[in-house]
Amino acid sequence: MKFTSRPTAAVLGVALAAAALTGCTETAAGGGAAGGDVASGACDPADVTLVGQVRNESNPYEASWLDGGDAFAEQVGLTQERLTYDGDSTRQQEQISQLLAGDTECLVMNILPNGDSDTPPIVEGAEAAGAYLVTQWNKPADLNVADYDSWLSHITYDGVESGRQIGDALAEAIGGSGGIVALQGILDTGAAKDRFAGLEESLAGNPDVELLDDQTANFSRAEALEVTKTLLTKHGDDIKGIWAANDDMALGALEALQQAGRDDVAVVGIDAVPDALTAIEEGTMTATVSSDGPWQGGIGLAIGYCVATGELAVEDIAADDRAWFAEQFLIQQDNVADFVSPETSEADFACDNLFSRSQGAIS
Amino acid sequence: MTSPAEADTEVVQARRPQPRRGVSLRDAGPPIALVVVFGVFAALSPGFRTLSNVQNVLDAAAVLAVVTIGISFVLMMGSIDLSAPGIMGASAITVALLVANNRNDNDLGFVGIAVAVLLAAGLGCLSGLALVLLKVPSFMATLGVSAVGLGLATLLFAGVQPNIADPMLEGWAVERFLGLAHLTWIALGCVLLGWLVQRYSRLGRYAFAIGGAEEVLALSGVRVAPYKVAVFTLAGAFYGLAGVMVTSQLSAGLVQAGRGYDFSAITAAVVGGTLLTGGRGGILHSTVGVLLVTVLTNGLVQVGVSPYWQGGVQGLIVVAAVAAAVIPQRRRNQVTK
Repeated sequence: MKFTSRPTAAVLGVALAAAALTGCTETAAGGGAAGGDVASGACDPADVTLVGQVRNESNPYEASWLDGGDAFAEQVGLTQERLTYDGDSTRQQEQISQLLAGDTECLVMNILPNGDSDTPPIVEGAEAAGAYLVTQWNKPADLNVADYDSWLSHITYDGVESGRQIGDALAEAIGGSGGIVALQGILDTGAAKDRFAGLEESLAGNPDVELLDDQTANFSRAEALEVTKTLLTKHGDDIKGIWAANDDMALGALEALQQAGRDDVAVVGIDAVPDALTAIEEGTMTATVSSDGPWQGGIGLAIGYCVATGELAVEDIAADDRAWFAEQFLIQQDNVADFVSPETSEADFACDNLFSRSQGAIS
Repeated sequence: MTSPAEADTEVVQARRPQPRRGVSLRDAGPPIALVVVFGVFAALSPGFRTLSNVQNVLDAAAVLAVVTIGISFVLMMGSIDLSAPGIMGASAITVALLVANNRNDNDLGFVGIAVAVLLAAGLGCLSGLALVLLKVPSFMATLGVSAVGLGLATLLFAGVQPNIADPMLEGWAVERFLGLAHLTWIALGCVLLGWLVQRYSRLGRYAFAIGGAEEVLALSGVRVAPYKVAVFTLAGAFYGLAGVMVTSQLSAGLVQAGRGYDFSAITAAVVGGTLLTGGRGGILHSTVGVLLVTVLTNGLVQVGVSPYWQGGVQGLIVVAAVAAAVIPQRRRNQVTK
């Protein structure tokens, strides 16, 4: 076995090295060649095709994202093609390939990649076809937007910041001292890690708040219900607050509290889903953070549209605006009314105002 | 003439089936594992051995128990059923839209629940028909029906979460009788019903027989197909009820109400001794499996195992429990596939 496998390994190694080398050359060549196609940016506004793609419309946040895209499209007298891929990476790639196989000269895509690893093929495809691409939320850290001409911008949110914001709001709600428990998201996702790191920052700033327990409920309402019930029997009245890495889990925790007859526990989440906003209005939930879905749906198309029509040149987009953290909003009872029916404003999508919500480049 | 007859009688007496040692051990394995796991957690964690936590474990087991009862009938038959997530989602959204809710003016109460369960039974029936008429393997047929159910749920969902306001349905999760939530009593009722069907009805006995030796049953003149469809329909109805129960717990109809329940139910059934080969185990076995899985989930949190370790530890214990349960079978020359 040993002797037969060694040559095999050597052959494999050489093949791999060759593949890696070819990969590098191809990337470089692709980047150079596509540059010529894209620089034009002289589409007639009426010829621009706008596409918004998210996971599914049964998620209120993603549905509101597509609605925001529609609002922008209407603003410039176009319609947006609404695409959903049910959280299925393969389907997402198929839809993108189909789009890129058609007329791509004035194609503008605002894409929510399913996961980090789904972004590179989308970017390469758009670059080769010369379609204008804006991605949001997911991108591998080592993939540099400035290396591409068609990939105009990548927008995401600082999870550490949102985790800290609701952590602070929770600490304030329980009077600055007492025990809390944390419901984490899917542990191997960047969002879950960052948000929990934010909570840890907040705890460092609020030394009298004690983290009694942290568990994962995988971003799921049903799982959060069960985990919270268990934590309530484990820690009982010591629990003064529940920190959840998203609103679905916060809502599951609220149900568990109701079933246990507890109304003295503060609950915070992230995402600003409609039910969470209602709960904040009613006073059963303390705080959430909004990324402003409709704005996300509009801004990606707006960036692409401005470049496609030549109002903005790719070279003029500042390096810091190629991959950036957008502003997010802490929602509590005093300002919840502003977010219950979020609307986009035309001024946000003006070509000279596209990057006004930037909180800085992704480090 | 008399002497050969006497000889025959002797032979028959000598062959009279004796209960094999392995049989009793196989049945006793999972309950022993349950007691051991429970004992270990109780020894390690004072929080685990409180009465309120035992109540909590039973409440937490309710939905999984109902799904597992449904899936057990299919597994006994030697088929597999992956339709639970879709059927539960469809049923959850349907019931949320039919009882008092924030989306429309319906207020059908109990009728709404019945409609949701019937719809779920219909979807289950569809799996069964695809299996016997179109000869689609149950793995694919039920996977397809799950997608149909999720599609239906997504259509009905239409972008706005239906939150329920029906006092009865909300009360199921909140109100208690003898210390247990109404949902838990419903699940206990389902266990009893499932056991009675399995033990005393032709449907239950044939399900077992189909899993044991379908050809023998068919050769002895039984028309197997209708019973297969009926088993899938029954399973669908149980998933539907489980979807209603999730809706009651969460006060909202979720498309993802049944996410993950297909595999946790199969795990629970197999851990309890209802094997994928069919013809073995049963409702009570599966119920023990459900308790084992639920105790495990609860206990790992109570003991304070880090969430980063829990998934792996849980998987190991499940594999160990199944291994322990099938040891008696391994002694006979059985092939494991």
